[in-house]
Amino acid sequence: MTRLLALAFVAVTAAVQAQSASYLDHGALSRELRRLVGTSSSAKLTSLGSTLGGREIWVVELGNPGATPLAQRPGVLVVGNLEGDQLIGSSHALETVRYLLANASSPAVKSVLDAYVVYLLPRLNPDGAELAFATVKAERRGNVRPYDDDNDGRVDEDGPEDLNGDGLITVMRVKDPAGVYMIDPADPRTLKKADVAKGETGTHKLYWEGVDSDGDGFINEDGPGGVDLNRNFQHDYPYFDVDAGPHMVSERESRALMDFVIAHRNIAAILTFGQSDNLVTPPDAAGKLSAPTPLNLPAFADASNATIFESGMLRPAFPGGGFGGGGFGGFGGGGGTRLRGAQPGANNNPASGRRPDTTVHRADIEYFKAVSEAYKTVTGIKALPPLRRPRGAFFQFGYYQFGVPSFSTPGWSLPAAAAEAKPAGGADAKPAGGADAKPAATGDAAVLRALEGAGVNAFVPWTAYKHAQLGDVEIGGFRPSVTSNAPAKDLADLGRKHGEFVVKLASMLPRVRIASTEVKAHGGGLFTVTVDVENTGFFPSSLQHGVVSGSVKPVLVQIQVPVESIVTGAPKAMRIASLNGSNSRQRVSWVIRGKSGAAVVIDVLAQKGGTDSATVTLK
Amino acid sequence: MNRTRLWAVLSSALLMFCVAGGADAQLAKRGSDPEHKLNLTWDRWLDHTEVGERLKLMERTWPKFLKLQSLGKSYGQRDIWMMTVSNPATGPEMSKAAMFIEANVHGNEIQGTEVSLYTIWYLMENYERIPTIRRLVDERVFYIVPTINPDGRDFFLHGTGSGSRTGHVPVDSDGDGLFDEDGPDDLNGNGIIETIRKYVPGQGTHRISHQDKRILEPVPPGEKGDWIILGREGKDNDGDGLIDEDPPGGYDPNRNYGSDWQPNYVQGGSMDYPFQLPEARATNDFWMSHPNIAGMQTYHNSGGMILRPPGSAWYGDYPAADIRAYDEIAENGERMLPYYDYLVIWRGLYTVHGGSIDWTNDGLGILSYSNELWNGDQYYNSPLLQKQTADPNSPIAGQKGDFFFDDFLEFGDEYQDWTAFDHPQYGKVELGGWKKLQGRVNPRFMSMELFHRNMAFTLHHADQMPRLAMGEATVQKVEGDVYRVRVDVTNDRIIPTIMEKAARDRTVRPDLLTLEGRNASVIAAGVVPNKFQPGPLTMIDQKDLKRILVRNGLPGRTTRTIEYLVKGSGPVTIQYAAVKGGTVSATVELR
Repeated sequence: MTRLLALAFVAVTAAVQAQSASYLDHGALSRELRRLVGTSSSAKLTSLGSTLGGREIWVVELGNPGATPLAQRPGVLVVGNLEGDQLIGSSHALETVRYLLANASSPAVKSVLDAYVVYLLPRLNPDGAELAFATVKAERRGNVRPYDDDNDGRVDEDGPEDLNGDGLITVMRVKDPAGVYMIDPADPRTLKKADVAKGETGTHKLYWEGVDSDGDGFINEDGPGGVDLNRNFQHDYPYFDVDAGPHMVSERESRALMDFVIAHRNIAAILTFGQSDNLVTPPDAAGKLSAPTPLNLPAFADASNATIFESGMLRPAFPGGGFGGGGFGGFGGGGGTRLRGAQPGANNNPASGRRPDTTVHRADIEYFKAVSEAYKTVTGIKALPPLRRPRGAFFQFGYYQFGVPSFSTPGWSLPAAAAEAKPAGGADAKPAGGADAKPAATGDAAVLRALEGAGVNAFVPWTAYKHAQLGDVEIGGFRPSVTSNAPAKDLADLGRKHGEFVVKLASMLPRVRIASTEVKAHGGGLFTVTVDVENTGFFPSSLQHGVVSGSVKPVLVQIQVPVESIVTGAPKAMRIASLNGSNSRQRVSWVIRGKSGAAVVIDVLAQKGGTDSATVTLK
Repeated sequence: MNRTRLWAVLSSALLMFCVAGGADAQLAKRGSDPEHKLNLTWDRWLDHTEVGERLKLMERTWPKFLKLQSLGKSYGQRDIWMMTVSNPATGPEMSKAAMFIEANVHGNEIQGTEVSLYTIWYLMENYERIPTIRRLVDERVFYIVPTINPDGRDFFLHGTGSGSRTGHVPVDSDGDGLFDEDGPDDLNGNGIIETIRKYVPGQGTHRISHQDKRILEPVPPGEKGDWIILGREGKDNDGDGLIDEDPPGGYDPNRNYGSDWQPNYVQGGSMDYPFQLPEARATNDFWMSHPNIAGMQTYHNSGGMILRPPGSAWYGDYPAADIRAYDEIAENGERMLPYYDYLVIWRGLYTVHGGSIDWTNDGLGILSYSNELWNGDQYYNSPLLQKQTADPNSPIAGQKGDFFFDDFLEFGDEYQDWTAFDHPQYGKVELGGWKKLQGRVNPRFMSMELFHRNMAFTLHHADQMPRLAMGEATVQKVEGDVYRVRVDVTNDRIIPTIMEKAARDRTVRPDLLTLEGRNASVIAAGVVPNKFQPGPLTMIDQKDLKRILVRNGLPGRTTRTIEYLVKGSGPVTIQYAAVKGGTVSATVELR
């Protein structure tokens, strides 16, 4: 029996290998990871814990065994599939493992595996990912923690229903004179908001596909789960957003990742796959990321429940009732609070105090640009599918709080969309070619054209349906997650390219070492000991933001003699805030008292750039 | 007049509600107080083991009301004890508004632990004797955590008292890859971490005061003194040339909570993410699973303050309705706590990001205060003496007052005179100064009043948590089988069932107004703006009028009249349920 199972196992994995990569459910992904890791002594697979759904959060650790333990080598962290339906991230991470192991003897890969460590978490959100393999597929990013989205005291009680039985949750459009949406002439399958200032009249209302399961008058306002893990981290955390969780790092998965990261301070660069980008378009001169371009149709459907939180506010119909209303109290002595004993000063000036940075430090922008160029060169990706604003995203934590170069990419290309798509607000784009020409596609129409141009089956045509509550409706729209995941046929190629990019990124990490030493005797047992500390990597030992935020420790250069024997010069433990890359050097020297012929050890410890040691003889 | 009752009767739970009139009268004639069931003393600072023993003793003594549990372990594997005070005979815990009391998040801020223990003891000893105490125990639930930083507490009490504010999760403060390897040291082995001073004639920054030779005062600008201060007692333990640069812990456990949490470079000591610390996490797990908590007090020291959030001004102040509730309770507190000021944290103290009561207010919708126990003015607590302390020539002015108090009231117990010491790095120095309990911790003999007054304020706070009542329901026939049903729902306390900010941010489940009747359907429902004045209803625009969501809750001291237009017959039950105020209902007959 065991043998039979083993045979079946072999057959399955062989099949996976034989064809080009495909999207894998958690069982298949786990098997493939185990198999790949089992082929190499440079790979280790461990679980960071299990999810609510009982699935393991895998981490693969890659590095050739050597004199320096992996934990003391500069590391690259790769995280995928934080958004549940962003399966492409897990595929890219898996393919990166495959690429690195398959090419372990090539000079570029070998030098990375010899000197660095690569940590890969292919799928941070296995419970969410599993839903993308369910019979009925919906666009869902969160995990499966039960969550009372509409705060009505009932949990997950009104999710979507696949009314037309096509296995996909799309949207419903209903002809309604009270609707605010109209057919977009650029592509009559898509809709846009009627611009009343231009004399346009709304003709349609939009909802998610489903019924009002709990009789509250709203459709699909509280579906199953969950918390969006890529909105659950500490930078620019979107407090009180329905999908952001009750507080930062509230989820098992986000906590497991955070605990892993803070236990691995050697991580010197982070790459995440997700629905934001700073690789194709690096931060601008002001350190800002490009504006996101989300799809309209899902946003319009979401808006059908926009008033849900207003309807329960029991306010008097006229002012003067006994209800506690009123706006936020200002600070101008208002609010009724007596402020006896208040000490005016820096601390209690509301305008004072260090604020968290929200733009990339000026000195760091060049490094982001350089990595961006490398990314575009290696992957060929220059234009992207629709993105969203990275509030509470993990890669933002990576830079703003962990202090290392940290990146996000959707991991695939949608070239035509970039040429034509404008941000959702870009309705004022001028039609090309005069009034009678076909209107230029913007927004959803442009994305749809791009997707279909790339051969993607992107859209479910509208079909009539008799809805129990709404009457005559049409069901259709973008296929779930169609802008998140590349066509499966492209996965192997894209995955290999991202593997190459990870190698490139690792090769850019800081490498701090002692380049040269010198001893000069002054007689009477006095010596000057000088070391040149060098960073042979590309990145500085700390980005400037890592320095100003204190999140990256200074390079520590220590001479291992008793403090008392240091006569003058540098402190025993010399701290260099940051040492630039590209072979930049810094000289450190001490005048010490010692015995001629004695050996003296100098240690260098760079949190993101490894360790080094040199021994000199006093003579 | 059943003010007091015979103790022997009391001890029998069965007889609790039977008043033995004759015995009462006899007891009332007795001169002395009734005996305590537990004769506890309140003039010692207790370490974590003793705190646990006292909690267990109280639980054994009053098993009907008290339940002791551990919320989890601290980093140092000490239990985070929590006592639940609740009367199961008056309903399950979750049906009552609960008051959460915690203390000692900063390890050196110890006396809140004793306030917490005293509160449990006082509630139990006086349950039978004082009707208001009985009512509080019967109506409310108290969750009391005497210390949420047991590692810090024991480090302070057992150790030398230095650097005890932090918790004890190791932190590499100096970035050398080693953790907590160079903290203060008791070099002269007298059990105290003292101040180091060095005699440097004509080159120093300090001089001996001519008023009292124990006072070391900074010299005026342009002058030189004979002494310099070289910090706290310690040496270079790790041989890196720096002294005490990586002490135990090295963070602020009260910056690790989930609202307005900021990274270290914005808010020092916040750690890497909210609720990373085991103590904050254990407490929060309990809070999140107990939405019945409506009041929160966290005791700190010192300064004599009743603090309310927000800790930072960045997001503006709270809604006016919330501030009104905060103000009213705290201004009563100021009258109960002489020398205490009611202040907003950022404005009266300093800016705090990620503090515990910001989280309980903003994230959990709990009206929360932090009392800073003990104000130095209380050393000389009469108008006459206050005046004297302001006169520079008085022997109790300024620092002289500290020594006077120590000399005459504590018999010199809190001061360690300077003694010579040969320091490995500094050479010949002197060690001495105030001991750890002076300044921030009240003198032991003044504990009882501090404990009681702060408890009384917190009990007032607890008493002002939402309390619901349903008034008389009326039925009026409109036509055929259609009736107009009206019912009054009252919250007679200061705190609303849902704070205004909590309603806006949706951090508390809405109140639920439900109507049940086998043969009843609701045609319309609304709120009556003024039942004594005709006028239009405020219609409730919800689809399911048998289950109405009241997202902004019931404000404090408010009666709201609800009107239904119901079609049907027979009995109809109307229920109002708040997670922080309990559930009330009324039944009427449609006829």
